[in-house]
Amino acid sequence: MRLLALLAVLAAPTHAAVVTSTRPDAVAVTIYRDPDRSDDDEMDLEWLRGFALITETRSIDLPAGDSEIRFEGVAGSMIPVSAIVTGLPGGIAEKNRDARLLSPAALIDGWLGRRVHLRRTSPATGAVRESDAVLRAGPGGGVILETAEGIEALSCSGLPEALNYDGAPTGLSARPTLSVRTTSKAAVHATVTLSYLAENFDWQANYVAELAADGRHFDLFAWMTLANGNDETFPDAQAQAVAGTPNRSDDGAAAADSLSPSVALSCWPMGTTSDVEIQAAAPPPPPAPTMMAGEDIIVTAQKRVERLMAAPVAMTAVQEELGDLKLYRIPEAVTVAAHAQKQIALLARENVAFDPVYTTLVTVGEEQDPTPVAILMRTGNVKERGLGLPLPSGKIAIFEQIGPRPMLAGEAILKDAAIGDEIEWRVGRSPQIQVAQRELAQGGGDSSPRRYEIEISNANSSPAVVEVAFLPPGSSMQLVSPSRRLDARNGRKIWIAKLPANGRATLQYKLVAHD
Amino acid sequence: MRLSAIASLALLIPAAAFAQTAQGEVAVTIYTDNLALIQDTRSLAIPAGRSRQEFPDVSAQIRPETVSFAADGTAIVEQNFDYDLLSPGKLMEKAVGRTVTIVRTNPATGAETREVAKVLAVNGGVVLQIGPRIEVLRDDGLPVRVVFDKVPDNLRARPTLSITLQSSRGGTRPARLSYLTPGLGWKADYVARFDEAAGKIDVQGWITLSNTTGTSFVNADVVMVAGTPNRSGNGNYGYRPQPAPIRRAGTESGSRAQLGDYYLYPLRERTTIANAQTKQVGFLDIQGAAARKAYEYRVGWLQTGETASAGTVLKFTSSKEGGLGDQLPAGTVRVYMKDARGNPQFIGENSIDHTPMGSELAIRTGDAFDVKVKSVVEKRERLGDERWRTTMRYTITNARSVPVTVDLIQSGLDWGWQDTRIASESLKSERLSSNQAQWHVPVDANGETQVTAVFETRN
Repeated sequence: MRLLALLAVLAAPTHAAVVTSTRPDAVAVTIYRDPDRSDDDEMDLEWLRGFALITETRSIDLPAGDSEIRFEGVAGSMIPVSAIVTGLPGGIAEKNRDARLLSPAALIDGWLGRRVHLRRTSPATGAVRESDAVLRAGPGGGVILETAEGIEALSCSGLPEALNYDGAPTGLSARPTLSVRTTSKAAVHATVTLSYLAENFDWQANYVAELAADGRHFDLFAWMTLANGNDETFPDAQAQAVAGTPNRSDDGAAAADSLSPSVALSCWPMGTTSDVEIQAAAPPPPPAPTMMAGEDIIVTAQKRVERLMAAPVAMTAVQEELGDLKLYRIPEAVTVAAHAQKQIALLARENVAFDPVYTTLVTVGEEQDPTPVAILMRTGNVKERGLGLPLPSGKIAIFEQIGPRPMLAGEAILKDAAIGDEIEWRVGRSPQIQVAQRELAQGGGDSSPRRYEIEISNANSSPAVVEVAFLPPGSSMQLVSPSRRLDARNGRKIWIAKLPANGRATLQYKLVAHD
Repeated sequence: MRLSAIASLALLIPAAAFAQTAQGEVAVTIYTDNLALIQDTRSLAIPAGRSRQEFPDVSAQIRPETVSFAADGTAIVEQNFDYDLLSPGKLMEKAVGRTVTIVRTNPATGAETREVAKVLAVNGGVVLQIGPRIEVLRDDGLPVRVVFDKVPDNLRARPTLSITLQSSRGGTRPARLSYLTPGLGWKADYVARFDEAAGKIDVQGWITLSNTTGTSFVNADVVMVAGTPNRSGNGNYGYRPQPAPIRRAGTESGSRAQLGDYYLYPLRERTTIANAQTKQVGFLDIQGAAARKAYEYRVGWLQTGETASAGTVLKFTSSKEGGLGDQLPAGTVRVYMKDARGNPQFIGENSIDHTPMGSELAIRTGDAFDVKVKSVVEKRERLGDERWRTTMRYTITNARSVPVTVDLIQSGLDWGWQDTRIASESLKSERLSSNQAQWHVPVDANGETQVTAVFETRN
């Protein structure tokens, strides 16, 4: 022991001791949405563009003096510049992230100009012959060896040939590794927290609304769908998702590419008389992804509705405030698996009141053939209507119970809704209620103002209310003397038309020039 | 036993890893626009008279035209940068007209037969002359090894810089090689921990070096130069441009070394910048600087009907008094806040330019979920040929349980005419410029505030 201690002391001033932390003791993953993905786009599981903040707790034994701590098992998509390390008694002198990985090309690169072993196997007899060779070139444009016989190119003869090395070059790691340099006055056992942003994560909220029989209430349920496109699994992780839009700055602070070159075993031109191309076998294509396609999410949601009566939700995410964002915490530790998506109940509300509304938009002074009006579900994000909680943006599937089975009534997009916000979902278009506009025949001469009529028809056997919003005409014209009372909303004139069952409503107006 | 493992690793790893470099004493000056000046002082054994010196382990992306060389008692005859790289194809092409040995292997017995062949041509395929016969290499697809006598002279495994010298005397002496190379760059990264309740911010600044030159620089003396404008901008401009983070440029001078107008950031210790490595070294650690959160929203001219979140902005200064007290090299500021359990969570990031000391900074970290602004054009009246009266109504809602103040900016007031007038308004505005008017709008907790304003403009 005395000798070893002496060695450590001798080593300390010149070179830092290397301490490797192979895996975290505990990990927390906070997933953020892709800020550029629009609300109606699904996550692309092949190319997740959101990100995550990963916080790992690791315990390490630090020797006295300078040491280099290598953190293994971090996410491959780590954004190295975002790494924060806390808990080291001596602070951090520098952080390094090495993207030089151990690969066939890196082996050739590392042994260039040095002696390696060339193994040839006779295809006829199976006899193996090994000889020494010096690597003269590679790995970019092909590999050239100097053997006892002369200069040869690897894998150009058609014989099975392979290189063997006496060891792996130092400084190469199996995966991208973060290391930090620190100094400690005494040998200590330290608990270190490592936080970093990593790419290739995403999450979204998926809502399911089940309409009640009265057509004026629904039960709302939402899944939080988390996806991890990394090769790393985060077992027993404290998982969170953040709703809202944190700003990202696009300044090239992306995950470092694993700058590992590939070996190109190119040879001299191989054309022959029979023009049969002899090429090295291409690597097999990567296995087909086994994940669900995006469309299946609705199917999942549908299953959920059918299960609603049988299997109640045992675990729902807990919402808390995070500055001006919303944090959803999964109350129990869960495993965020590699290349997988996970769904956890985000929220549930029963008996939410809404108003079914028909709306349409007409341009003042423009004829229009009968056009179906839009069907909206309108409600407020308030307690009185059964909501009153932050709703992160996501798609909503609306189901209606027809007899014993739920039917998809429509799909809509829910934008981030704060408490108190008005919520409108455009469910679809109603072919039963149509709106048309025509110019009426001129009574007077050219100087008299043009007159228009809007007609709405209702083929339903129940009365309906349609909100008609007017898109203003060109700047020099304006609408005057409407035959019905007009209201205003959001700076636009609107007509709230009350339609009798199986009936019509009309409105006439004049178009005149501005004074 | 753990100790012994550490000790032996410590002795072995650095020695093996860096034993092979041909670099001497290296000094690296890195600029922010992906450019570096390398000064490499090597000990060279130079004989008297003419000699050719090769310089392995220079940057693989070296700009050879910028190389300068100085050694006592020497004069440069010529400088060469050879980048004709050795590959099987090149090897065969250079063998045209020369003889090679071919080794045929009998696929049934494994028996080898050797022949001497002359390479006649390499065009699409290799044409050989063996004795009186002409044959295409591996025309039958059977295994044939080709053995060359030697590697041609100017084919190299790596691009190689060589200098031919005329020396007045023989002997080993220091020789200084300097050159410019792309592939080495730096920027700053800031970790800002914001404590909203206390109105404080802790900021750590890191210099981030990245090396993609293909070459490691061993035990180098590194200096970073700040001052070249960074070309990266804010990523999330969206449809309305965001105000720049520097709201008022500062006028204070720092204590750091300067090179003309540029600040220098030397690293305290020599360090190795390995290839494909991102290295971060701390340069700033400030605890408890004053900071506050604000909300900002900018309305475009005649923007109507849309409801959008106000931006969350973190405001602080780089001033000596109550601020960070340093000039800030360009980089990315990442902002973290503690969640209910006390764990830090990321709340947004933004980039800043080179910022002088004493500047007022406002970093937009993201959109506020609970604070929203709706602008509506209530009325557009034509007053005359070139005169319009526009009535705007702004509705600011706050779903948070605390009151907030939103800086509401109406932009687009100046379209080349400076006679835009605010005829009336429900809250006193401040005219930031001919183009912009700003209201500080207080909104109650879980409340709503409406602001109306009537503009008289030329359009």
